[in-house]
Order: sequence, then structure tokens, then C-alpha cells
Amino acid sequence: METNNQEYRISFFKPSSPQTKANRDMVLWLLLIWALAVFGFHVVLKLIEEPTPEPILLTYQAVSKSVYQGNASLDEMQSFAGVSLQVLSKVFIAPDERVELRSALNWALFQIADAEQEEALKAEIASFKAVRDKTTDILAHDYQQAKIELMAMAVPVLGLSDRDVRTKILPLELDTEYPETMTDENVAQLELVLNKYLIHNESVLTRMTVLGFPFHYFYTAVFLLILFVLLCWIYCVRTDVLNKKYGIDD
Amino acid sequence: MKRFITLIILLLSSSVIFAANAATDLEGGFKLGPAIILITILVVFVMVGIVFRAKNTNDFYAAGRGISKIGSGMAIASNWMSAASFLGMAALMYGAGYHGLSYVVGWTGGYVLLLILMAGQIRKYGKYTAADFIGDRYYSRTLRAVAAVIAILISIAYCVGQFGGIGLLFKWIMGIEYWLAVVIGGAVVLTYTLISGMLGVTKNMQIQYVIIIISFLIPLFILTFKFDYFWLLPQIGYGSVVSDIVGGIPLAETADLVNKYGHEFAMVPMPEYAMPWDPATGQTFFQWIAIAFSLMIGTAGLPHVLQRFYVVPNARDARWSVVWGLFFICILYWSAPVYSAFGQILSAHPEIGTLEKDAIVVYTAQLGNIHPLIVGFLAAGGVSAAFSTVSGLLVAGSSAFAHDLYVKVFRPNSSPKVQLRMARYGTVVMAVIVASIALLKLALIGRLVAVAFSLAGCTIFPLFLLGIWWSGSNKQGAIAGLIAGGSVSLIAITYFIAGTQGLALPFHEFIDYYLGAWYFAVFGAPLAIIVHIIVAKLTPETPIEIRKFLTESVHS
Repeated sequence: METNNQEYRISFFKPSSPQTKANRDMVLWLLLIWALAVFGFHVVLKLIEEPTPEPILLTYQAVSKSVYQGNASLDEMQSFAGVSLQVLSKVFIAPDERVELRSALNWALFQIADAEQEEALKAEIASFKAVRDKTTDILAHDYQQAKIELMAMAVPVLGLSDRDVRTKILPLELDTEYPETMTDENVAQLELVLNKYLIHNESVLTRMTVLGFPFHYFYTAVFLLILFVLLCWIYCVRTDVLNKKYGIDD
Repeated sequence: MKRFITLIILLLSSSVIFAANAATDLEGGFKLGPAIILITILVVFVMVGIVFRAKNTNDFYAAGRGISKIGSGMAIASNWMSAASFLGMAALMYGAGYHGLSYVVGWTGGYVLLLILMAGQIRKYGKYTAADFIGDRYYSRTLRAVAAVIAILISIAYCVGQFGGIGLLFKWIMGIEYWLAVVIGGAVVLTYTLISGMLGVTKNMQIQYVIIIISFLIPLFILTFKFDYFWLLPQIGYGSVVSDIVGGIPLAETADLVNKYGHEFAMVPMPEYAMPWDPATGQTFFQWIAIAFSLMIGTAGLPHVLQRFYVVPNARDARWSVVWGLFFICILYWSAPVYSAFGQILSAHPEIGTLEKDAIVVYTAQLGNIHPLIVGFLAAGGVSAAFSTVSGLLVAGSSAFAHDLYVKVFRPNSSPKVQLRMARYGTVVMAVIVASIALLKLALIGRLVAVAFSLAGCTIFPLFLLGIWWSGSNKQGAIAGLIAGGSVSLIAITYFIAGTQGLALPFHEFIDYYLGAWYFAVFGAPLAIIVHIIVAKLTPETPIEIRKFLTESVHS
């Protein structure tokens, strides 16, 4: 009975014929390549990563102390405001984080502005807000006009150049309501947000470029897919060859 | 049929057109051009469906086993390329950057496993459905019934995301509310599935593949050309777009590169779009690996995918059809990230407002000022993608119900006519259930679909893997493994649903992270396999007839 049974036992790891052995070896090789290519690469990517701050975060760190102590120069205040504005320009910021960033931006703006500028800015912000609230079409002339006017007024206060990409969104982030002082709580919250959005896992693999891509992105989004098709193709060709060799007809 | 078209036209004409609340007109009201394109495509599908109408149960289930390798490859691709691929993947990358690539890799890499571990052997085993295989290999009617129920659950989970996508696109095209769009879209896809049956669907699938892929690619050539990137091969040309997002794009000297609303094609540096597991996305290294792994083994355990191999004439064709299928799928997967990259830049302005991520493919085309008819064609392609998958899933689910549950378990002597009728009832009931869940909008489309993959990875995948490759795998082991995998699935899904309802179950942070609803197979599947092996070793061996069949028919 036992010997009879023996003939009909199948196990991937204990092939019973040269053909199944050849198949097992091929499958194991392909699996190994597959696993290393997908998971091995990402483990490496993880191991060599260095949390790298964006330059703007270094700017923040350089100026924040004097800004909070109240002895910052105009330049430093403008840089400080620019940091929040830059993060607000990113696409995905959670609503509560937006609040922190806008508080810091508007607080800094009105620290910089002199009394005359402050009054003019507040009036302009209020009138833009009024137009904005009732517009249903962002291409409407009065809305565009109000936006451009506010931008023209705020940009010089913040010391931005006209070609600064952050000016794109500036009018939409201005507000007449802002904290009177940056409390420790405000600062802590702000720094949490900045650290979350301005530190990235970079490494040599992300800095290298291939065909315009960051290397790791190219590897995953383009190369791995090519590799998968290739592995499948190799398997099929090899199986056809093996089947022919061992006289298997399927 | 006629009544349906009348109904649709009636609904179209009477539908309340909602003025967009946002200040943009991306959503807008009823769009005539796209609606005509969509109706034309659907009519073509149904006509082809009628011409190749299912005549008997054999046709309904397995399309008469007469389809060529490349044709079958296209059918695999079309069946596979769903709303999750067409809309959901770009949405995930748009919202979570590099994290979204784990879905791209997971949904393609799984085919390698499927091919080298299973495809040919499944065809040699020669059963109609996944439950057929499981019931036969594990010589248990109970297991067959359980497998059939799981197949139905997987189909439902998979379909929910598809109905979500259909709803979003019908909403966009018709300018109606989401719930109404889900109802109308669901009714149309149901009618279509019922009429054509699987033979019609398989024939359609090749047409559908071509329509889906062309509609998806055309806007990419236009976008890369318009915004001055290498446009001859957008799938490579967008590399510079990714690098530009990382490094930021300054305002150009001339302002001719703008989106639909005149916003310059410029942005601050956003490395979080391309850097791995970026803190800004809230996703971690573990989650990247877990998703890729779960989706891969899920691919090799999805009943409606496994079932594809029964329709090719022989094992060699089964193998080669995977290569072709994967290649055809990759064409879409190489392209999807292009949408999210352009979408990122074109929507980088607060005036655009928060966009529905799952519709970012369509919004990107709109924001890029692509001709409305081409955008309409794109949306219609998305509907086709969801349709082809839904019809395949409804067939898989309803055949599991009619063939595996009703006939094999409850009424073995049913006539083919009764069987076909039961399959049709099953289809209707499933569609209603799916539409109801889709109305809840529980998560992003891609993630909803990923739930089905983890479920398949925890339950069906171990049964196929061990059943094919180890004769020691037996009924007791299978049951124990299913209980283990099923329990993990149940826990993960329960926590997920509780979470969406705002309930905090004990240890919910721990469970939500390690057994997230879209990747719980990362632990569930290995556990199921280990339990299966241990129990099988301790219990009586598989009967000799089955071992003999395995040796002589499957492994020779």
C-alpha cells in the first residue's frame, strides 16, 4: 500500500521526475528574481534613505528664533512668511494644518506691514473676500481684477518677486483674522506641519535620474512592469522547450 | 432593451441639472457630446452581445472554450482593467504619490505568480469555476459551497469599487447626483450582462480593450505635447514631469502654458509626490510592502481571474494568454501615472478646490484644456473599463451561485434551463447588493477593490497553491486554513467598517495599521498556508484517486 501510494505523491519541493525537477528549478529562479526585484529593491531603498529637509525648512530654522524673539530684520520676517506660503502652495494640506500655516503667514504679513499698509491691506482683503464669496466663476472679470489688485499690494510687502511661483496663490491665503502673537502652542503646531511636509526620504537612488525620472520612480513605475512581462515570457518559452524535451503534449 | 434605452433618454432629458457649487465648471451639467459617445459605445456593446448571445449554460460559463491566445490575452486585460485601474490608480498616486505605485506593482506582479505557479495547471485540472476546483480537489461538498460563497463575496467586494467608478462617471456625464448615477449605471450594466452572457462578453472584451486603451492614451499624447514634454512616448516622457514636480516649476517668462482657468503651469517643489513613503502622505514603508504583497497574491486567488484559464483551449494557450494579458494590462499601467503627475501640476491652485480624487483622470484632461469630446471619449472608456469588469464579475458570482451552490449543493438534478435562470437571478441580486454598498462611498475605488484582493489572498490563493503543488494538502487542512484566513479577513473588514461608522473597537489603532482593510493578506495568507500545512500533516492523507489525478493529469 505504502509503495503504491508513493507513486502518486506530489510535492513542489520533491520533484519525482526530471521534468518536474526542471520546472521546479525554473520556478524557484523566477520567484527569486521577482522577489528581489520587488521587495529587495524596496528594502534597500528603505535602508539607505536619509530624511532630507527641503531648503525652505533650513530657511525657517535660520530665521525662526529671531522672528519669535521679535528682533528679526525685514528680510528675516519676509523669509519667515515665505515658508508658510510655500507649504500652502503644495497640493494636499489637511484643513487644520492650513489653519496653522495661514495664521503664521498672516501674522508675519501684518508684522511687516506699517500702519498705512496694514489698513490698505485689510480693506483690500475684505473687498476681495466679498467678491470671492459671491463669484460662481473664477474667470469672471471682477473676481480676477480684485485678485490682481490684492496681489499687487501684498507681493511687495512680502518682498516676493513678481515671477515667484508662490504669488499664484497669495491672495487666496490672506486673511484679516490672525493671532496677535505666535504663542508657544502656535509655534509647536506650525513646526509639526513644516516637519511633516518639508522632510523627505531621499537617497542616491532618488537623486539619480534616468530618462528624466528620479531613478527609483523609473524603476518601480516603468522597469518593474517590463521585468514582469519578461519573466512571464521567459517562463513560457522555457516551458515550451522543457515540454518538447520531455515529450509532454499540452 | 428598448425600454431601457427609452428610460435612459427619459432620465437624461428630465434630469435636474445641478449647477456646480464650486467656482469651477469641471463637474458642470449635462454634457451632450460625452453622453452621445457613451450611449453609442454601450449600444455597440449590447448589439455585439446580442449577436453572440449565450445559447446554453456551457456558453454562459466558459464561452465554449474557443478563444485564441492573443484574443484571450485581450480578454484577460479587459476583464482586469477596471475602474480601479482606469480611475483608482491615478487617484491613489495623485493623493499619495509613490505610495500609489504599490498598487501598480501589486496589480501587475501578481501575474508572475499566477503564471508560474498556477495558470497551466488550472487549465489541466479542467474545471469550470474556482469552487469546482476546490470542491473536487478537497473532496468536500461543504468546501465547495464555502468556496462558492467566498467567490460571491469577493465578486461583490470587487464590484463595489466598480459601481463607484460608474457612478462618478455617469454623474460627470449626465450632471446628476451620485446616487442616481449609481442606480442608472448599475441598471445599464446589469441589463448588458444579462443579455450577453459570457460568450457575448468575451467577444466584446476584445473590442472593449481596444476602446479602453485608446481612450486612455489619446489625452496623454495631447498633454505631453501641449506642455512641452517628450510626447512620442508619454509613458517615458512624463519622467521629466515627475522630476519637475520634485524640483518645482518656476513661472515661465511667457504665460502660454496654462490650465483651463489660466493658472500657470508652475508649482513649488513637491518632493512628497515622488519620494518613497513620504511623511506628508501618511503612508509607511510597511504599508507599501504590505499592499504590493497582498495585491500580488490576491491576483493569483481571484476567482474571476482564475476562471479565465478555463476558456482557453489548452494549457499552453493558458500560459501564453497570461503573457499577452499582462502586456496589454501594462500598457494601461505604464500610462496611469502620467495622469496623476499632470493632475498634480494642473490642479495646484486653491481655486480649483478639492477634487474628487477618483475622477482625477477626467479632471486632468479637462484642466489640460483637452477638447471636450476627447474628454468625453475618455470618460466613456472609463465606463467601458468598469463595465467589462463588472460583467465578468457578475458572471463569476452568479455562476458560483447557480453552478456551485444551487446545482451542486442543493438541487443536483436541475435542468440546464433552471440553472441558467438561477444564474440570472443571482446576477440581479448581486447587482442590487453592490449598488447599495456603492452608495455609501466607503473609500477610494482602488482601496475598495484592494479589499477583494486581500480576501482572495487569504482564502482562495492558499487552497489553489497547496492544492496544486502538494498532494499532502487535504480536506482538514483546507478547512483549518480557510478558518484561519477567513478569521483574519473578518477581523480586518469588521474593524474597517466599524471605523467608517465612527466606532472605535478595542486595539483599533493596532489592527487598522497591521491588518488594514486593503492589505490584511500580508499576514492572513501566510497564516492560512501555515495552518493548512500543519493540520494536513496531522490528519489522514488525501485519497489516492485525487493524488493519482493530480500526478497523471495535472503534473504530466
